[in-house]
Amino acid sequence: MLNIDRRWIFLAIGVVSIVPFLIGIGMPVSTTVEVENIFDYVNELGKDDAIFISFDYAPGTQAENTPMAIAVMRHALHNDVSVFLTANQPLGHGMAIGALHYVTDPAIPDFYESVSFEDWSALRDAGIVDKDELVSAWESEGNVLPEGCSGWIFEGRDYALLGYAPVFNLVILGMTNSIEAQYPQDAHGNSTGEMPMLRDHKSLREVDLALSCSGSGACVWWITYAREKIGMPVAFGVTAVMATDYYPYIQSGQIIGQMGGLRGAAEYEVLLYENGVTVTTGKAFTGMDVQSAAHLLIIFLIIMGNIAFFAGGFHKKTALKGRG
Amino acid sequence: MIVLVGGILMIVQYFIPHQYSQNIFNYYTEWAPIVGAFALILGVGSLTRVHSHKIRRKAKNWQFSWAVLIPLYGMPFFALIWPQSLWGGMEEPGIFDFVFMHIQVPIQATMFSLLAFYIASAAFRAFRAKSALATVLLLAAVIVMLGQVPIGEMLGRWLPETGLWILRYPNLAAKRAIMLGVGFGILATNLKIIFGVERNWLGGAGK
Repeated sequence: MLNIDRRWIFLAIGVVSIVPFLIGIGMPVSTTVEVENIFDYVNELGKDDAIFISFDYAPGTQAENTPMAIAVMRHALHNDVSVFLTANQPLGHGMAIGALHYVTDPAIPDFYESVSFEDWSALRDAGIVDKDELVSAWESEGNVLPEGCSGWIFEGRDYALLGYAPVFNLVILGMTNSIEAQYPQDAHGNSTGEMPMLRDHKSLREVDLALSCSGSGACVWWITYAREKIGMPVAFGVTAVMATDYYPYIQSGQIIGQMGGLRGAAEYEVLLYENGVTVTTGKAFTGMDVQSAAHLLIIFLIIMGNIAFFAGGFHKKTALKGRG
Repeated sequence: MIVLVGGILMIVQYFIPHQYSQNIFNYYTEWAPIVGAFALILGVGSLTRVHSHKIRRKAKNWQFSWAVLIPLYGMPFFALIWPQSLWGGMEEPGIFDFVFMHIQVPIQATMFSLLAFYIASAAFRAFRAKSALATVLLLAAVIVMLGQVPIGEMLGRWLPETGLWILRYPNLAAKRAIMLGVGFGILATNLKIIFGVERNWLGGAGK
């Protein structure tokens, strides 16, 4: 049994990864205090507040990190909180663009209709920057919100794609004094100095939260250079493998909460759904069925491997070998 | 000398709240990313030199060097010089975005996804309860794994609660000890570099 061809194991993993997606079981996901803390914090924020979402991951970990970033982005946009999107690497920049496209895709429920920085320049020049006034003025110009859309989001007021800048740990350090100095232009070439959200939040000292979605240790930069230097609240969205490393930061209060792996993203999606922010859960919640099946299979393989090992007397052979 | 002066200056600056100290800090944070970006030129030049030598000498697997060099120069070309879409217009997505979203992202995601298959195979072949400690490790892993998924909660409320207890207490204690050790190591190494005791980073120039 120990000599089973590993391709049968690969096939089993493939089957348990695909079938739950097709069946769509929808097992309930309970929430933990680590994720609830992030949700409650963002829920208290409003249209005068701003957060950073840093896409500190590459496509390899996007299955875990992207749903987290999208869930928090949806929550912030729902509360009219301004969202700065950054990345610590060029690939993260692409992930940020992909997440923004996902949130504004009409084919996906709970989408937002984006208005580019140039399109609403006339209203900006007229001094209309308050969100409610902006929406009224925009719609009075004949713009109609598409059916099923959750709302308008204005580039430069609701979100700014700042993107990647080199030596990102120093960029964070520099943003503690001035965001505009580090990002004179956003990723679309718009002058950040003209953005209402930059005028209201000139540095990280005036930003209410930094969420680092990370597949590497880069998330710790936000603690070192932002949390410890200026006391900025920080939250993590990390892969499940990394999540165990950062419990000390939760216990010491250096991060307000943590979303660990696909489970963390699923918990946030459940909180959004239960609190009426979204009409449906997302990809992470669907993925929990797959993760359940895969975990069960791996535990089964561990047990069967140990039974085969001990039943075959291999542990005795290993012990004899040790005595020479 | 540059490292010594710069290192001591930035350490001292951190603890002085005077405006002059802050000006030094601002000056440094504006210059440092610019200097760091020059590392890109060094990296691209080095990669080009290594792979062009392989192609010229027809070394083993020289064909794969073309797979490195063509995207290395092709992607900046499509991003900066020819940012048009596949259909020739300026409407999105451009060729750069298309290649990134439909080639690079799936390739990297696939590479990570392969881990799931190899972990399953390793779970069967290598995870053995050969000793008491290994047995405890396996039991903890099984409890945490089941506690992290909805099916664990359906099997019993104690599973996710025990899994969370393991993460919040024994795991936290061990991780904190490791982080403290690593932190002291980083501090010691950086002080050695600043004061010139450690000179390996200079390469041949330090000898």
